[in-house]
Amino acid sequence: MINRSKQVLRVDLALIAEMVAPGARVLDVGCGDGALLDWLGQHKQVDGRGIELSMAGVAAAVSHGLSVVQGDADTDLSYYPDDSFDYVILSQTLQATRDPRRVLANMLRIGKHAIVSFPNFGHWRIRMDISLHGRMPVTDTLSYQWYETPNIHFCTIRDFLVLCQDMNIGVLRSVALGRSGNVLPNIWSNLLAAQGMFLLSRGT
Amino acid sequence: MGTTGPSDIDPATGKPWGLNFPVITIGDMVQVQARLLDALGIDQLFCVVGGSMGGMQVLEWCSNYPERVFSAVPIATAAKHSAQNIAFHEVGRQAIAADPDWCDGAYLEQGKNPDRGLAVARMAAHITYLSEPALHRKFGRNLQERKGFSYGFDADFQVESYLRYQGSTFVERFDANSYLYITRAMDYFDLAEEHGGVLANAFKGTKTRFCVMSFSSDWLFPTSESRTIMRALNAVAANVSFVEVQSDKGHDAFLLDEPQFHATLKGFLQGAADHRGLAP
Repeated sequence: MINRSKQVLRVDLALIAEMVAPGARVLDVGCGDGALLDWLGQHKQVDGRGIELSMAGVAAAVSHGLSVVQGDADTDLSYYPDDSFDYVILSQTLQATRDPRRVLANMLRIGKHAIVSFPNFGHWRIRMDISLHGRMPVTDTLSYQWYETPNIHFCTIRDFLVLCQDMNIGVLRSVALGRSGNVLPNIWSNLLAAQGMFLLSRGT
Repeated sequence: MGTTGPSDIDPATGKPWGLNFPVITIGDMVQVQARLLDALGIDQLFCVVGGSMGGMQVLEWCSNYPERVFSAVPIATAAKHSAQNIAFHEVGRQAIAADPDWCDGAYLEQGKNPDRGLAVARMAAHITYLSEPALHRKFGRNLQERKGFSYGFDADFQVESYLRYQGSTFVERFDANSYLYITRAMDYFDLAEEHGGVLANAFKGTKTRFCVMSFSSDWLFPTSESRTIMRALNAVAANVSFVEVQSDKGHDAFLLDEPQFHATLKGFLQGAADHRGLAP
């Protein structure tokens, strides 16, 4: 097994890792090459599993000895039994799912907690792009043109919190992140945060 | 083929078993393997690996002897034999039965061998192991050592010549009746059926680490079959990895040197060895 433990975790992944309790069972949905799962296994003795769409990502993760299946959040989550994980993680992927509401519901059915991060469509730069330039936003975190983007369900942080309320999802922690993944004070985050990150639980 | 087969001598009659040999199942094969391990004094296997019918045996191992399998790699296989696959097997069996030298299964007693029937069975089966892109790359419509068509029924095309060769070499190493019994064993395999129609029940409580693998161009055991296995394993919260390897070589890919397949398998085995506390 190649030791990647010395590698530095991406800032947003490090924040997610911090929310996970040691020894927990974790499902990382859209786990890429498994960097977060690897780190959690090495540093927090987590029993981790992953789901990843790209074959290159799955192959890289499995080649590193991680338990990862090829699949996607929309179709594969429904096959997991209730309460099979302590945390289900969905990092930067919610906006690319076909049915985000069902994905969220499945995450909190499978897991006691969910950790979700997504690009905030309420960020002031995006509002400027639309209101001043009349163009769909193309930013560092959203680097696609409208006709080629895999991101089909954008939301603002406020939209997301309203959905959580509708679904009776408890928000245990919310973190506002700047453009470089830096943590911002939790004030006017719907305007100032490039990304939102949330630790969620069932019930309010 | 195997430990004992239809070409062996039935001690009761002193003649080859032929069609009096009992029909066997994948479960029987695995039971024999388990008894061998008992005799050898081996309690647990570090990893059970197999492709195609071997993959069915892997699944049967994990279902019937879960505590004896630390890790498992079912490759290019399925939890049940599909209608299409049964159909291809039936073509092969009928080809053998249509050969007069088969003698209703008693060819050994008659000093004959149904070479033509078995060769045709192998030719049909061999096509199912390949893919259109692989056949096209290898042969296209190229002609076999000639400049034009013969306007007859010789093997004008390279692909015909290749299949004939595959058929003729197969009969040298394979017993026709064994072919009937082994294809039948695969036809009868349906792991979900043995567990109340729910595949996940076959793996309930399993602690085995799984790595399910399929190949993108395999139409005999397509990726959808592996996905079914993966989802059943997820349904019982098993420790499972699943990779579809990109390859245009069809079902045969699992026997060939596919770098990504081997790299993934190696990584999985190393990861499993780490968890088992085995030295690298």
